[in-house]
Amino acid sequence: MTRQDFLYKWFFYGLSLLPVWWLELFVLSRFPVLGATPMLLPLAAVAVAVLEGSVSGAGFGLAVGVLCDAVYYGGWGGMTLGMCLIGWGAGAAAQYVLRPNFGGCLLCSAGALAAIDLFRVAAGLFTGLGSLSGLLEVAVPEILWSLCFVCLIYPWYTWVRRRIVKFLRL
Amino acid sequence: MKDFFQKNGLLILIIAVLLAAITAVFSYAFQGAPSPLSNVLGVVTTPVRNGVSSLAEWVEGIYSYTFRYDELEAENQRLQEENARLQQELRQASADSQENERLRELLGLREQRRDFVFESATVTARSSTNWASTLTLSKGADWDIAAGDCVIDASGDLVGIVEEVGANWCTVLTVLDANLEMGGLIARTESTAVLEGDFDLMGQGRLKMTYLPADTELIPGDLVLTTSMGGNYPSDLVVGTIESIHSDASGMSRYAVIAPAADLDSLVQVFVITDFDIVE
Repeated sequence: MTRQDFLYKWFFYGLSLLPVWWLELFVLSRFPVLGATPMLLPLAAVAVAVLEGSVSGAGFGLAVGVLCDAVYYGGWGGMTLGMCLIGWGAGAAAQYVLRPNFGGCLLCSAGALAAIDLFRVAAGLFTGLGSLSGLLEVAVPEILWSLCFVCLIYPWYTWVRRRIVKFLRL
Repeated sequence: MKDFFQKNGLLILIIAVLLAAITAVFSYAFQGAPSPLSNVLGVVTTPVRNGVSSLAEWVEGIYSYTFRYDELEAENQRLQEENARLQQELRQASADSQENERLRELLGLREQRRDFVFESATVTARSSTNWASTLTLSKGADWDIAAGDCVIDASGDLVGIVEEVGANWCTVLTVLDANLEMGGLIARTESTAVLEGDFDLMGQGRLKMTYLPADTELIPGDLVLTTSMGGNYPSDLVVGTIESIHSDASGMSRYAVIAPAADLDSLVQVFVITDFDIVE
């Protein structure tokens, strides 16, 4: 792959984040289900990692993490590092343990969302933000509701990848 | 794993650590100001957010007109009756006010004054995460809005406090958010306590009032107002009413659960108090 192809590829992947981000920010945030709105940006990072492998997953995860820290309220840099590690882990898991398909993406997404919310629950308990039951009441519906959107995000990125391969004649 | 580190993986991880550290330092050092990237994204997305918000409002209007016509007619009737009652109360209040002025002059008391400078704004987005209760407004630093400004609804009920200000947007922590803490006054007893958001109550749309005076008898329904202690916030803004009173886990102190007066789920238009001058 030439340098130009490389830049085109990641430009298109970056562009493909826009509808995901806007769906999350402008549409789904208005219609909470069981009091929770889904997190779609981490799902996008996982889907690309599953399709492209661990190195690309870490790089895309880093970009998604920077975006998460900028758009989610209270971002302090944790998502930047966290999403990079998640992208790396999801890519490696899909490459060596699971398969780079919908099932693999679903499992990696569940792991990624659980890791994010486990960290939030632990931080919440440590800082005295709320009780364990109160924190879990937010975390569990958030994970479950977000997981439903793997059905949308994974096909979206499969389609984007197919278009990129076709466009760049890889 | 070896493959990862051979193909720039380590470099990506180092960049991630550095960016995370820079973001952490920035967010700690400049509390109340968004990071440059957040500000740019906020500025770019504000017109889209405004558009989506207007569209949602328009669709909701059509839906209400089509499916809730009878309900709206009944509400209109109720509001007309309420308006008539309020007109009568206003006339009485006007007479009382004149009498109050005369008595003040007679006793040589200083005149009470409440001057507010308002900036109206539209709610363009709700909480971006499930872990905080925030609102994004359509105006920011270009309209003299600053972190710490109080935000009220059309009835004058407290909605929250401005937390983060971009050029043409700002984020408001609602009264329910676990990070909010301010002085509160129980109107009937005139006793002060601390109002604070509570994560466990946030989902139920409630907040907490702690450090309640031991000798004060509280009744569910008591009105809770803001206080001007410290001079940070204007006094006498309605926060809500006491819903129930509980003892904490140790049994040593009590806290009250407050139902906010502002309807935070259906807010469209709010007012930011950018400046105030109160003489009591």
